[in-house]
Amino acid sequence: MGNLWARGLSVPVLPAPREAEIAERITEEAALTAELSDDLRIDPLVAEGAMVAQGAPLFRLHRQPEIVVTAPMAARVARLDLAPGRRLRDITLFREKGEGRHRHALPGDLRATLLASGLWTAFRSRPFGRHPAPGEIPAAIFVMAADTRPGAPDPRLALAGRAEAFARGMAALATLTERLILCQSPGDPLVDPSDRLTVLTLPGLHPHGLPGMQIHRHFPARPEARTWDIAAEEVAALGTLLETGHLPETRLVTVTGTALREGATFRCQPWADLRALSRGLVRPGPHRHVSGSVLDGREARWLRPRDRQVSVMPPASRDDDRHWFLSALRGARRPLPLIPTAALEQALGGDIPTMPLLRALSTGDAEAAIRLGALSLLPEDLTLADYVTCSEPRLSRLLAGLLARIEAEEAA
Amino acid sequence: MMRGIWDRETVAVLLLAALLPVGVTWLLAGGTDALLRLVFFLVVAGAWHVVWMLARAQPPSLAGIVTALALAMLAPQDLGLVALLLSTSFGVVIAELAFGGWGRNVLNPATVTLAFMGFGYPAAPWPDLPVQLWWAAIPAALLGAILGVMSARLLLGAALTLIAASLLGADLSDALPAITITLVLLVADPVASASTALGRWLNGVLYGAFITLSVENWHDAAPVQLCVSAALLTSLAAPLLDEAALLLWLQRRKRRHG
Repeated sequence: MGNLWARGLSVPVLPAPREAEIAERITEEAALTAELSDDLRIDPLVAEGAMVAQGAPLFRLHRQPEIVVTAPMAARVARLDLAPGRRLRDITLFREKGEGRHRHALPGDLRATLLASGLWTAFRSRPFGRHPAPGEIPAAIFVMAADTRPGAPDPRLALAGRAEAFARGMAALATLTERLILCQSPGDPLVDPSDRLTVLTLPGLHPHGLPGMQIHRHFPARPEARTWDIAAEEVAALGTLLETGHLPETRLVTVTGTALREGATFRCQPWADLRALSRGLVRPGPHRHVSGSVLDGREARWLRPRDRQVSVMPPASRDDDRHWFLSALRGARRPLPLIPTAALEQALGGDIPTMPLLRALSTGDAEAAIRLGALSLLPEDLTLADYVTCSEPRLSRLLAGLLARIEAEEAA
Repeated sequence: MMRGIWDRETVAVLLLAALLPVGVTWLLAGGTDALLRLVFFLVVAGAWHVVWMLARAQPPSLAGIVTALALAMLAPQDLGLVALLLSTSFGVVIAELAFGGWGRNVLNPATVTLAFMGFGYPAAPWPDLPVQLWWAAIPAALLGAILGVMSARLLLGAALTLIAASLLGADLSDALPAITITLVLLVADPVASASTALGRWLNGVLYGAFITLSVENWHDAAPVQLCVSAALLTSLAAPLLDEAALLLWLQRRKRRHG
């Protein structure tokens, strides 16, 4: 909290992930799960029990059949659980080393390649933060080669030795949009800027490494001018795909959290098994696995598609057997108000008028929130403010609700 | 997932910690009388907080202690018990609790109480603050800014304006303890002051300007009285300053991004 004019906050997470030695750990099982409320309707391309190569198509989205999702590893499809209406509950894969890797045909059209290889879903389109529609033209693409979430892997480490693939991926992305913006941590530029490509060097404090903060500041998203973001490692994956036709087998993932003896950094497949990743690192006692950082993660069994870190934490404590008088002294049905402090201001990076935005969110004032740039933000961008203020209801959830409402009105 | 500790009560505790130098200096200077005054205001404000907790399920706040401290230091001397009870209850209930407790209020309850006393009992003499208090206000302001519970912009804005005014010839020396104490206790309250960056600068500058105006032109007022009036006017203008700062921000953004 110390510095008066610093922008952003540092959130300590012990133990830190060790980056000196990076082991490859492909877990024996991998799965993708979806909530029924996600309404992820799919058309399966493989049957239960089928063998698939790494990178081979698994299913298409029912509403956007151009978008294909591919297998993260060579495996047998152990379970394909669909709810009525072809809504995906989960798809579980058991590893079969012998199946090899699927080689994608490269039709020459970048958009078709992205859609067919499963890399399309690595993009996130704002406003609203879904993957972009197949025909969508982005007004700008933010490539995130910086991540300031506590315990997040260093994107430079993920790109080490892959400079050529990254440059090829960036060149390909530049054909999709007018404005390509690379956000990188301080240090040597990862690629050379050109007239279409801007390189931004970000300060090292959270929340500046969140794409939402940069998009809000440099290129606000609007429904008619959508802004995409993508992780730098996925751009390198695109470069590799364009060169060889293969998708990379692993991504760089850190395992951190307060329930661990020591942190670790692994190369593992997407959808990896979190228990297998933390094996040998956890302290004895109860714990829970969170896919994502301690701030914005979600309790999960499997690594969620966009996450690059795993947090293992002790279970949430329950203290609901207090005397009513003591509970009344601490809180009531109506939540406690937010007090504007320097910490809260830094939690949103210092550029956004914090209190007006948070007031608009808590009163559900969509018009004011949009004016203040809420369409550039996603719930993850407010998780630091949630952490700092301990606010109830959570600000990130308020934003999620507001965005859902705006999206529904937009669609109507 | 992980939760922090900066909820409302933590901020209230930090605010108290920042004001500790002022409170201790004042108690040392005032002795038992001062302590009794403080206890009286603590009991009255605390009682109202508990009443609202029981009747309206509204959790009490440690910020009530800040209010009591401000009242004990700045309230007029020799007011009768009824007058003190009446005005304190008015300030605490109408300015704070009726709005939903600390954090939802618009004006600082201590400012409102003091204004009420000033208007209601104009004959009561305002206290003379001991001169060492303004030295104690400096560590309080520093602590508040470093802990992040007071706005450094607001404090700097006020300080710079006052320094500029005294360089231009305004004589602030008599009122200095009252000016600084009102600044850290009433004006820099994070809830009742402006909440945007530019708004806070303006908030501080406005307080300095009101003080300078009153010192120059309101000759028969006691130092505490004119400082409390300046604090009240500044608090009333804070939402306006925020709105102006917000409009400027939106305009700048529109120019940059279309």
